[in-house]
Amino acid sequence: MNATTSSPNVTIPAVVLDLQTQLLAYLTLAANYFYRLPGSSIVLRYIKSSYQDDPVRSAVELFLFLFAVRYLLAPKYSTRETGSRGKGEVKLSEEEIDELVEDWTPEPLVPPQTAFEENEMEKRPIIVGPTGPKVKLSNGRTVTNLASFNFYNLLSSEHLKDSAIQTLRTYGVGPCGPPGFYGTQDVHNRVEADIAAHLGVAACILYAQAFSTISSVIPAFSKRGDVIVADSAVGYSIRKGLQISRSTVRWFQHGDMADLERVLKKVVQEGKGRQLTRRFIVAEGISEMVGDIPDLAALVELKTKYKFRLILDETHSYGVLGAHGRGLTEYAHVDATSVDMITGSLAGALCAGGGFCAGSDEVVEHQRISAAAYTYSAALPAMLATTASETIRLLTMGGPEAIRQLRESIKVMRAQLDPRSDWVRCTSAIEGPILILVLKDEVVRQRNLDRDDQEWLFQDIVDECLTNGVMITRLKAMPVMIGSNPREDGWQPTPALKVCVTTGLSKKEIEKAGVVIRHAITKIMKRGESQMKRISDSSR
Amino acid sequence: MSTLSAGTTTKSGRRRRSSSLVYTEPPESLEHISDQAALPNLNSQWVNAKGAWAIHFVLIVCLKIFYDILPGVSQETSWTLTNISYMLGSYIMFHWVRGVPFDFNAGAYDNLNMWEQIDNGDQYTPAKKFLLSVPVILFLVSTHYTHYDLTYFLINFLATLAVVIPKLPASHRLRFSIFTSAPDDDP
Repeated sequence: MNATTSSPNVTIPAVVLDLQTQLLAYLTLAANYFYRLPGSSIVLRYIKSSYQDDPVRSAVELFLFLFAVRYLLAPKYSTRETGSRGKGEVKLSEEEIDELVEDWTPEPLVPPQTAFEENEMEKRPIIVGPTGPKVKLSNGRTVTNLASFNFYNLLSSEHLKDSAIQTLRTYGVGPCGPPGFYGTQDVHNRVEADIAAHLGVAACILYAQAFSTISSVIPAFSKRGDVIVADSAVGYSIRKGLQISRSTVRWFQHGDMADLERVLKKVVQEGKGRQLTRRFIVAEGISEMVGDIPDLAALVELKTKYKFRLILDETHSYGVLGAHGRGLTEYAHVDATSVDMITGSLAGALCAGGGFCAGSDEVVEHQRISAAAYTYSAALPAMLATTASETIRLLTMGGPEAIRQLRESIKVMRAQLDPRSDWVRCTSAIEGPILILVLKDEVVRQRNLDRDDQEWLFQDIVDECLTNGVMITRLKAMPVMIGSNPREDGWQPTPALKVCVTTGLSKKEIEKAGVVIRHAITKIMKRGESQMKRISDSSR
Repeated sequence: MSTLSAGTTTKSGRRRRSSSLVYTEPPESLEHISDQAALPNLNSQWVNAKGAWAIHFVLIVCLKIFYDILPGVSQETSWTLTNISYMLGSYIMFHWVRGVPFDFNAGAYDNLNMWEQIDNGDQYTPAKKFLLSVPVILFLVSTHYTHYDLTYFLINFLATLAVVIPKLPASHRLRFSIFTSAPDDDP
């Protein structure tokens, strides 16, 4: 009754039959080849035995197998979003490349000078002959020099000059090799010992350049993943060191110990339950950009409490602060060994050259192989090393007297400027021989001065002072660094005048120079807003 | 300069939500990438070497022999132990440990495990295909020799999943922060 489905009478077309036999023949052939393959019996046995009346498990295995096959067949691709092999790469034909090359006009390597820079270049004084408290300019005039870090007037010391010449005759000019590669001479070891003894720490390492000391010390210790808490007003060389170290940098408000504690607490909190990293606090002895002094006792207390290491940059305070010029540690009556790394300059107050980092034996030994500026640059010329040894000896022996004289000179200069001038105030510490003079807040507010306006005013004041025979300078901050995180460059120094006091001038001369500066400030500031506006407009 | 700093941040931070247990490792900054390229990544390069592929089979055979000579260990247990040991070892090596054991790249790989370092993070490269097929084959073989016992099967299967899932392109740079909170980027 079910005739249609099971009828034997249904005829299969000959073509289909033919195809069927063909297919069977191919299959047998394929099976034959398969059996002939080595190991085929194992695979067959594996497949036959794998289905153990357990469809779910077999399905899982089959799925895994198919997944692996799919993975093996998938084409390779890059996960990089940018870069030469990234997804964003655009394929260009040869013509298109040529066209783009034709169209390309290179940006100038140096941008065209701004009106401000042109003006500065034009009026820049050039010193002829040796520098000192009184210098001769290229236009033939002799002016009072208050723009050099020649605080003790060691530049004019015949004794130092003689000893430098003596060293030059014995050792030659440069050692022509890095310290670890035949560059170290006995005088280098001597000056290292002298500085360590002067500061009262275990060891010291000598660098050939003051600028690269701190920017090499920081990356020698702090690496990627480590945390550095730094003062927001630190100078350019410290910023460079922070950048090179690749560490995570947190900033605290300049000189604000309460804010420092807040940041330290936050870092400690975030570090809980994670791998322990090295942690540092970076601060300056005398701030390069502001001129003030941090509370070292509080710094040391905080770093001990929160288990940080302290890197103190004494570039502007070594040789200046303390009764014997030992820097901030002597000034603040803090044991120098409680600061982990003290870096300093021999080029400023000490009138030699190079820089140093003082600390424990371990701290110093570590730098001998891993601080880039020590390992890769030629050692300090011997005559600078002996000069540094000599100036340190002078500071230790006659330090209190020299420093007292310097204090007197600073006092005389400050008296002419800070309380007396209606326009500027001095942000430097009372002991600081570099007076940083910024415009008073009310003046800035009243006249609505922006940064450019202030820079113009200060440049005019510098020029006016030079006309009256006193050479001073502006605070010149380095540019924002290329490649740095824009968020990290929130702090910018306030435009300022920079007056460097020296004991090479008598009290009368300093007083006279102070009066000149004060009058120049008053003259420029009183010039009237209209004129100033014109100048500032032309600068844009 | 002030417009730059006040504007949007160019670097995309880790997407952090307090409730989220999963986060993606953000792409590296230009500085980071140049540090990575400073030297060839010796930590991950060797997986492309000739001997590196053969050593997997040698190690598996050694493990099997080792478990076989332990007294009182059945063939099933021996295969399962071999499987687990290999999976555990490769998980620790490729997916657990991050960074480079030597200081070649200034710590530029500290956030990436070895699997993500291989071939600069490219997917479906020959080395990655090989490294994925080895555990899959080992699993299929060991289930066969444990005679498809459900308990052994489950143990072996879970161990295999543990090394296969982190190898998937979808798991690239994915992190689980169950016990720790996701790292915070803002300075």
